[in-house]
Amino acid sequence: MRNFLVRRLLLIVPMIVAISLIIFILLTLQGDPFHQLLMNPHVRPEDVQILMHNWNWDKPLPIRYFNWLKEFVVSTFAPRAGNGWGFSLLAPGTNARALILQKLPLTLALSGGSILLSIIIAVPIGIFSALHQYGFGDNVGTFFAFFGMSMPSFWFGIMLIIIFGLKLHWFPISGMHSDMLPAGGQLVDFYAAPWLARLVNRAWYMALPVSVLSLLGVGGWMRYTRSSMLEVVRQDYVRTARAKGAPESVVIRKHALRNALIPIITLVGLTLPGIVGGAMITEQVFALDGMGRLTLQAVLGNDMFVAMAILMIDSLLVLFGSLLADILYAVADPRVRYS
Amino acid sequence: MKEYTANEELKLREAPTETYVSNILRRLRRNRMGMLGLAMVFVVLVAVIFAGPLSFGKSPYAMLSPADLKPGQTTPEFMTPNRDHILGTDELGRDAWSRLLYGGRVSLLIGVVASLTSIFLGTFVGLVSGFYGGWFDNLIMRFTDTMMSIPTLPLMVVLAAVLKGGVLNLILILVVFGWMGDARLVRGVTLSLREQEYIEAARAVGASPWRIMFRHLLPNTAAPIIVSFSMSISSLIIYEASLSYLGLGIPQPTPSWGNMLYNAQNYIFSAPQLVWFPGLAIFFTSLGFNFFGDGLRDALDPKLKL
Repeated sequence: MRNFLVRRLLLIVPMIVAISLIIFILLTLQGDPFHQLLMNPHVRPEDVQILMHNWNWDKPLPIRYFNWLKEFVVSTFAPRAGNGWGFSLLAPGTNARALILQKLPLTLALSGGSILLSIIIAVPIGIFSALHQYGFGDNVGTFFAFFGMSMPSFWFGIMLIIIFGLKLHWFPISGMHSDMLPAGGQLVDFYAAPWLARLVNRAWYMALPVSVLSLLGVGGWMRYTRSSMLEVVRQDYVRTARAKGAPESVVIRKHALRNALIPIITLVGLTLPGIVGGAMITEQVFALDGMGRLTLQAVLGNDMFVAMAILMIDSLLVLFGSLLADILYAVADPRVRYS
Repeated sequence: MKEYTANEELKLREAPTETYVSNILRRLRRNRMGMLGLAMVFVVLVAVIFAGPLSFGKSPYAMLSPADLKPGQTTPEFMTPNRDHILGTDELGRDAWSRLLYGGRVSLLIGVVASLTSIFLGTFVGLVSGFYGGWFDNLIMRFTDTMMSIPTLPLMVVLAAVLKGGVLNLILILVVFGWMGDARLVRGVTLSLREQEYIEAARAVGASPWRIMFRHLLPNTAAPIIVSFSMSISSLIIYEASLSYLGLGIPQPTPSWGNMLYNAQNYIFSAPQLVWFPGLAIFFTSLGFNFFGDGLRDALDPKLKL
């Protein structure tokens, strides 16, 4: 296990470098971010010159890249006040890390909530589907799974806004919380309200976006649970459990389910990276100011260093997510041995 | 050996012969969801191929002028569905039904061509990498992993912004980030087939590496490739729509389901019907391809996992 971990971690290093290089080159296709800064009337050209020199932007591409890489590594492992992964073009005066830390909580709440919700919905249905393979319930479950997988998320979001926001007025259609909340018989400022009222209010605002993000996940989780469960119920040890006379509920709960859930645990590690990509569309639909929107703004506005920082974090999530999946697999299933 | 009577022999001859393909078709016909998917795909294909006659002579580009209005109609824009325009008109007074049909052509074309191209590229990479193995395979697969770890949608947005939309550019973007899954799939199959006796036999009679790859290995990777093709069309249509939704897809006036939605979202208060139909079309099409792909997988190889 230790050898395996060391080998995987060593393999991640060159991949990070390759990924950062590819992203860097793709982002520079959009043009020179400093040139854009020069056109901002609030910024003095001399300052831009100094900034360009500090970032080695007056030198050829490879030197620019290595300078950025050095800055990224330094500000990751030795963070100081001034060096948070590079400055922001669109929000002058701040740096990438400050921006990301500011937007991250919303996206984490959004995607954490939706991952939790989709697991709660999908796993029981997946198990039911597998136990009644090709039955009516299974067909309905499969239909629903494909329903979620085939749905363009932004359209689903817009439809929810039209139906539940504009027609029925059940849910707010954008924003993160109300400005004022009723407390003790009168309206008070949101931040002065009791925490429970704040939580309920936030949940009310998050209901539609979380539903949109969850629908996407539910289909995949359900199919995965189903096939994992189907595989397990055919195993010899399940037959043995039945043969020794264990009641069906015990066979399913103790012998089949526990083993079927192992691959599902690992899937959690593989869901992590989808967070930013999925949030990008959903946050855009519901006008939520989180990481997804920040990504879109940074990428479209050629906010080079902010975009680099976000995309690097996302890629690192992919790499460490799959490593985490492997580790979880070994932890949950003692038969798995890495060497 | 059993002796057959003349009657029995006649019966045997009349019995339909079972072949690999007929077996698959029989299994597919039995799969209700798969057949439903096939029917849905068929409906969509007929609709976009016969977009001309089906749009009743309405051009997707012609803007209705106020002079053409019938009594009782107030403006040529944002008409609700009526006898002349079965889905109404859009913000420029263009027939929404006609745009839906012609837009389907563009969206489907992008989905199919991008999916085909990704599969060609992915299959080629996977075959060569799996067949030669060793450091070469290692290098190619590390590159594939790298490409897979890159956040796709944000970089598609960057490329779309640089390349400025257009059908061909959009296909190119979708292919750049779409070939890795197929490459891995084909490589996996190739690795397991490479050591089999019939490949050894082919080598022994002196077949060239290319002949082994494309004559002996490729046909055996067909099943997963076909399923992947059907499934990936639906996700590529959704990707196209997502890019268009962010304003980076097919530029106007060419209609596509994605850019119709992009325009319509500004009018969700005044003309929500413009949002319903393009989205419904995307949903219907991708549901059809998903159902069909799933049925096809069960028919081609019940053990296959994708």
